[in-house]
Amino acid sequence: MLGVSVVVFAILRLVPGDPIAMMLPPGATEETRQNLERLYGMDKPLIEQYFIWLRDVLHLDFGMSTQFRLPVMEVIFNRLPVTLELVLLASIIALTLSFALSVLAVWIQRDGATLIIDGASGLTQAIPDFLWALIFIFFVTLYAPSIPISGRYDPRTAQDFITGFYLIEALITLRLGTFAELLRHAILPAFALALPLAASITRLLKSALEEAMSEDYAILARTKGKSRIAIILGEALRNALIPVIALTSVQLAFLIGGTVLIERLFSLPGIGSTAITAVVNRDLPLIQGVVLVFAALFIAINLISNGLYRLADPRLGKTDE
Amino acid sequence: MKKITGMILGASLSAGMAAADDSTLAIAYNVSLPSWDATVGPSAVNPTIQSIYKSVFDQYIDQNPDLSFRPGLLTEWGWNEDGSKIRMVVREGALWHNGDPVTASDIVWSLERAGKEETGNPIQFLWSTIGNFTIDGNVIEADVLRYDPTIFKWMAFLTAYVLPKDYYESVGAEGFEKNPVGSGPYMVDEYVANSFARLKRFDGYWGPKPEFETVIFKFVPDASARVAEVETGASDITLEIPYEEYDRLAAKDGLEGVTTPVSDIGMIFINDVGVMEDSNVRKAAAHAINKNLIIERLLRGYGVRIDTLQAPQYSAFNPDTLVAYDPDLAKKLLAASGYSEENPVKFKIQTTRGFKPKDYEIIQVIAGMWKRVGIEAEIEVYEIAKHFDLRARDELAPAAFYNWGNSIGDPSTSTGFAMFGPSPHSTWDTEDLDAMIGPLWGEKDESRRIDGFKAVDAYIAENAMVIPLLQFVQPIVFREGLSVTPHVANFLLPQNVVSQ
Amino acid sequence: MSEVERFSINKARSLTGRAETSGENVSRIRAIFGGAVLAFLIAAAIFAPLIAPHDPVLDDLLLINMPPAWLNSNPGHYGIDNPWSYPLGTDSLGRDVASRLIYGARVALIVGFSVACIASVAGVFLGALAGFYGGWTDAVIGRVVDIWVAFPPVLLSIILVALLGTSLTSVIVVVAVIDWTRFARVVRADVLRQKNRDYIEAARIAGSSEISILIREVFPNVLPLLVTLFFFEVGIAITVETILSFVSLSVSSGSVTWGDMIAEGRRVLNESWWVMGFPVLVLIATILGLNAIGDAMRYYLDPVLSR
Repeated sequence: MLGVSVVVFAILRLVPGDPIAMMLPPGATEETRQNLERLYGMDKPLIEQYFIWLRDVLHLDFGMSTQFRLPVMEVIFNRLPVTLELVLLASIIALTLSFALSVLAVWIQRDGATLIIDGASGLTQAIPDFLWALIFIFFVTLYAPSIPISGRYDPRTAQDFITGFYLIEALITLRLGTFAELLRHAILPAFALALPLAASITRLLKSALEEAMSEDYAILARTKGKSRIAIILGEALRNALIPVIALTSVQLAFLIGGTVLIERLFSLPGIGSTAITAVVNRDLPLIQGVVLVFAALFIAINLISNGLYRLADPRLGKTDE
Repeated sequence: MKKITGMILGASLSAGMAAADDSTLAIAYNVSLPSWDATVGPSAVNPTIQSIYKSVFDQYIDQNPDLSFRPGLLTEWGWNEDGSKIRMVVREGALWHNGDPVTASDIVWSLERAGKEETGNPIQFLWSTIGNFTIDGNVIEADVLRYDPTIFKWMAFLTAYVLPKDYYESVGAEGFEKNPVGSGPYMVDEYVANSFARLKRFDGYWGPKPEFETVIFKFVPDASARVAEVETGASDITLEIPYEEYDRLAAKDGLEGVTTPVSDIGMIFINDVGVMEDSNVRKAAAHAINKNLIIERLLRGYGVRIDTLQAPQYSAFNPDTLVAYDPDLAKKLLAASGYSEENPVKFKIQTTRGFKPKDYEIIQVIAGMWKRVGIEAEIEVYEIAKHFDLRARDELAPAAFYNWGNSIGDPSTSTGFAMFGPSPHSTWDTEDLDAMIGPLWGEKDESRRIDGFKAVDAYIAENAMVIPLLQFVQPIVFREGLSVTPHVANFLLPQNVVSQ
Repeated sequence: MSEVERFSINKARSLTGRAETSGENVSRIRAIFGGAVLAFLIAAAIFAPLIAPHDPVLDDLLLINMPPAWLNSNPGHYGIDNPWSYPLGTDSLGRDVASRLIYGARVALIVGFSVACIASVAGVFLGALAGFYGGWTDAVIGRVVDIWVAFPPVLLSIILVALLGTSLTSVIVVVAVIDWTRFARVVRADVLRQKNRDYIEAARIAGSSEISILIREVFPNVLPLLVTLFFFEVGIAITVETILSFVSLSVSSGSVTWGDMIAEGRRVLNESWWVMGFPVLVLIATILGLNAIGDAMRYYLDPVLSR
């Protein structure tokens, strides 16, 4: 994480460009410029700037966003739940879809069905998430104008939430109407993010299941009179799970990155869309904060999947080659 | 899965009906509001978000939709005879959103705060030209420390908002961001950054009551998403959409449209470096551009041709200063400097892409027009932030496309800032031009000042020191049953929207 | 081998391990389809000036948003006789969509293959170095890789390109700089795995130098996975370039990119779908083709799978 911080600082400070220059209005004087520089601490030497910055980062103080004029941490914490919920929902959709489809494909065991599922997942995977978003927006506008395409909920209705996790909070407090309304807003962006992921998981899971079904224990179970579907859902699935967890954790990194465009297209106030406005406005403290948070998220996902991995395969921690 | 989708669709229908509410106005807005303090920081000078500020806060002086000035929180203003003092009369009966009265001390506090360097007001250099305020009832007097003929025009322009002294001092800067209090027609009800701001009508407002009780600014930065917003009925109004979409939506049942030329112009900055020091090249570049064709075909007629940095609504506009479209003349000029179609003059032109309607496309078409007379321009796309950066360091390419907003229509804030060498925002700096503009900064005779700038504009046009292209037109689409008064200053003010 | 390392090997395998059980027939279909797409693209890119009917950047304001030839019922309206001279219609500047697609293939392929080459060479070199020498070399490279992968690629490329400025080179460099770790991880893990095998030991005892062992024995084993990754990377690079173009941050002017076309076409989507529709189709077909050819190559090159 320390290494990450050095890279972040280095990348952002050593590039050409002057963040102060763009804050200046028409007619500003050199004096105004120096004042602004002093205000944002940019008049000090670079090394000193880094150590000041690092000290602050360790205290979770990323400085003030030049654009929002609020502490960077506050800006990020306000938006992080949006992104997390979106990613969570997309993962649920992707996993549900891919498990259902691959189990179905292996169960049906017909060439036609397999081919259709293979072809569809290949095609789905080849369409990047932002294209899915464009396709959704286009068709929804034409054919289903009642499905909202912007924001988390209709701002005409006042909502009352304690946390930033609206969906989860609504579900826990059993406000089902609100939950449905939130879901209605989240469904398109979540699907746009989920589809490419679902496709790649489907392909992997399907081949892993097929492989598992041809293993001895599966054949043995079959001769014992267990039904096919029971074997798939029982033994085979458990064994196929390991590569799926690995793939999902890798793909989740892409998925989190994908929120950058998706959130912008669907006007969601998450850290992805914040990242773009920060880049466009050269809000350096905010860019640094956002990148670090994304990196931390990734590391967290890695740790979680490492844990899951061990759960799914108890042999892991014990033997060592 | 199907069942769930069915439920969601069902819920959506009922929710959609419940949302159709006559007292609420939803605006799909093109930029996201970053901060509620309209007087400091970079967002204070961002022209695109002033509509939101103007809904919540009052300015010292207000502007009519045609850019003429009208009283804001000041009802009278002016200099004394020798221009050494100013006098302002504060409106009586105005209230802050928390119920406190707006007083002369709020005005003085706001002006003094704006003039202090440490507050970070980007226009501080101007606000600091007045000082030593004295208050007598609702009359304020102040000394003119350095005469600036545009000070009262600026009082209707960027960062010229009045904030509540007592409230601000008690909650501090961050507290103010969270619970902003102004004196405008609407007060902030809920604000979610990068998502929306919901405003409620302020019943204690001193001016005419706006019709809509609730106004929602939805921040939708993506143009196609804004189109979808009005098309699906999720929002009532939107703006800044592609002209193709404007034409399509305006013709559609249930939607209407209005367009107006706004105080924002497209221009090509010329940097006096390299081949641009050759006046033949500059003039040829100017004469080779068929602005009318660009406006007619590319912008579908939505644009007004200009030949100086003044749009027709600005005070120093002179219809007689013209730069003709004359490709043959351009060829002749280039030939005089030894260039031809076979041996073209080469330079780089920078442009934004997607920042203004068809900006990149306009430059591509211009490059094509130049190619036909013997100019080979290499196009480089940059972010607007990079433009500011390069311009401040005077390192723009020989040619650079930019849009210059100037909602007070004063020549000093267009030609003055853009062309005067010592200004940090100019690209062109030559002594001959600086000598012409210099004396106009402190000119106390208004008509001589304006005439002076007209002469400067003519000189600039003759020598092609900048290439003005067109005045942009703002397309606004709204649902049937509304009536929208567009504002030349490019504001979309909810108080100017009524139902028919 | 530590748990974490095994974990990353599995990850790397699973990233490309989509074709593990597919048979010969499927592989042949994939190879033919992928090969055809790639050959078509390469031909289009190389012979662009010969086959493109028009100049891809020259505007013609009289021919704005003309529909594709088969839908163009009134070519006279645009002042042309034969609508087939603009087979796929024109965009909002009156430029020929077909010609732009053809020239766009150039940029796509240049970006895709340059990125894949740079990233694979750098990644293979550093990965092999780390795997073969171990010790602090491995520790340093491993640490760098760990730091690198923690950044979301799309966000990082947007930030870097925005800050470095838009040009063909900066796009290629940025994407390659971000993606080399993918190759490094695979190679490192495989080298580690192979290093302790008997035949390597045997070669070492027979007196072969470490480098020649690396090249002769280990490399052929990683090759199938690398080739798959390579084509996969070409597809990723093209997609990232498209995304960058889409947020107006890619190659500027002169050169035409599919991402540009998609972004421009989107603004007039409701009026002239063909400006965005065709580049989207071409992009999808390209990625499909690249994925297919990668999978097929893996099948044919892997001695175990194609037994």
